[in-house]
Amino acid sequence: MLESLPRRNINQMESLTTTTLAALELLFSGNPELWEIIAISFRVSGVAILVASPPALLVAFILAYYQFPGRRLLISINSTLLSVPAVVVGLTLFILLSRQGPLGEWKLLFTQTAMVLGQIALAFPILVAMGHSALQACDRRAWETARTLGATPIRALITIMREARFGLMAALLAAFGRIIAEVGASMMLGGNILHYTRNIPTAIALESSKGEFAQGIALGLVLLILAFTLNAFLQHFQGKGQPA
Amino acid sequence: MTTADQFNVQCLKKHFAKRQVLDEVAFSLQAGQTHLLSGDNGAGKTTLLRILAGLEKPDSIQIDLGKGPLNWRHVKKTLQHHALYLHQHPYMFDGTVTYNLDYAIGAKLTKRERQLQIDKALEWADLRQLSHAPAKTLSGGEKQRVSLARAWLKRPSILLLDEPTSNLDQESRHRTLGLLEAFKSDGTAMLLASHDPMHFPSLIDQHLRLDQGKLIRIDDQKLFEFDQTHPNFRSTA
Ligand SMILES: Nc1ncnc2c1ncn2[C@@H]1O[C@H](COP(=O)(O)OP(=O)(O)OP(=O)(O)O)[C@@H](O)[C@H]1O
Ligand SMILES: [Mg+2]
Repeated sequence: MLESLPRRNINQMESLTTTTLAALELLFSGNPELWEIIAISFRVSGVAILVASPPALLVAFILAYYQFPGRRLLISINSTLLSVPAVVVGLTLFILLSRQGPLGEWKLLFTQTAMVLGQIALAFPILVAMGHSALQACDRRAWETARTLGATPIRALITIMREARFGLMAALLAAFGRIIAEVGASMMLGGNILHYTRNIPTAIALESSKGEFAQGIALGLVLLILAFTLNAFLQHFQGKGQPA
Repeated sequence: MTTADQFNVQCLKKHFAKRQVLDEVAFSLQAGQTHLLSGDNGAGKTTLLRILAGLEKPDSIQIDLGKGPLNWRHVKKTLQHHALYLHQHPYMFDGTVTYNLDYAIGAKLTKRERQLQIDKALEWADLRQLSHAPAKTLSGGEKQRVSLARAWLKRPSILLLDEPTSNLDQESRHRTLGLLEAFKSDGTAMLLASHDPMHFPSLIDQHLRLDQGKLIRIDDQKLFEFDQTHPNFRSTA
């Protein structure tokens, strides 16, 4: 009885090592199922960022450059949305999209589109908040100089976004980092369907619970590497974005 | 210019909180003439220039277009079309001097035509050596020249200058003065806010002073004759 304890530890150590090796092998041998899951994650989150950014940055611009009644309220609603947990966002959309829900006719539940919608809802407040502060930090004279030199409002808007590009890049990266790693909304809205809505976080959460550790570790490594990369870029852009 | 070579402004009013900064201000600018706008700190010089550039909304304004009263949107459009405002501290876009000049050129020109224009402007403001320098790193005087060259490329009929020589040394002040004289002989109407009329002895045709929201015309022949030994007067006279 007493001897079995260290033995079991060794077994676990051995199995951990072998699973990690198996994970690395999965990753580097180009295991198609694994890479498909990774591709789905990047596609869904990429589309969500692409769709969410233009309107979110426009809202950010309006908040930074215009005074209007309700502006402060809008800002505080947005900061509240920032801290709403992903599962709650998932649950809300789930109710809306479910068969009996008001948008049930769209038949979007358990599709990639539903996942994209959930991730848009999660990315939007981050993009607005960080975009707002990036544009707010941009010198007012940039807008005025552009306008007085004859730029149309659209061109002037593009100009100040160019001036604030590092801060805006940081906003995009932060939002992307948040949505690609979130599990709650993707699980509820996508349903973790293999080859279709199974993405990195849902695969880790569900497959690991079935004992598929190698895949979980491999995907976890992908998220870790991604987090490091995004963070390095974020640091880089935020450093450059500081007003001189 | 709105009508012929004259630009008339009337009934210009603006308040901030409880302060009436501009109270029934009226004046006219003429092509090829320079008006000095003086006034104490906080008198409303910057506010007046920004309104004329269409960058700030007044409480009321009438500009003479011979078309009867216009709403602010139309006035703003007209002002933005004719007038160009130069900040006290010019803003440089992130990029080279060439990029900054190119910004002021209409999009319709071909690449070759644009380069030609840029070259002329670089020549005009003596910026050739700096054409590829990052504009944000230039000195105050150099930025001022880039900003004037940018304006020169736009050929505005009205140039609104906010303390263009504050924080410049003697040398840069002279160069700025030279460029402003070039604008003047091109027929640009200029309204120039400054604390010190002595900086522009040869340039000023008329002196307007803002005081307690009112704009007063000042006859300062005396002012210029007053101190012939003033360094700025001597060196440009
Ligand atoms: N956006 C604003 N909101 C509130 N008050 C303002 C605003 N802009 C200007 N003011 C006020 O209007 C008055 C006139 O300001 P303005 O900048 O036009 O003066 P100025 O003559 O240019 O002064 P200076 O010589 O210091 O440049 C000041 O009392 C200023 O505090
Ligand atoms: Mg001022």
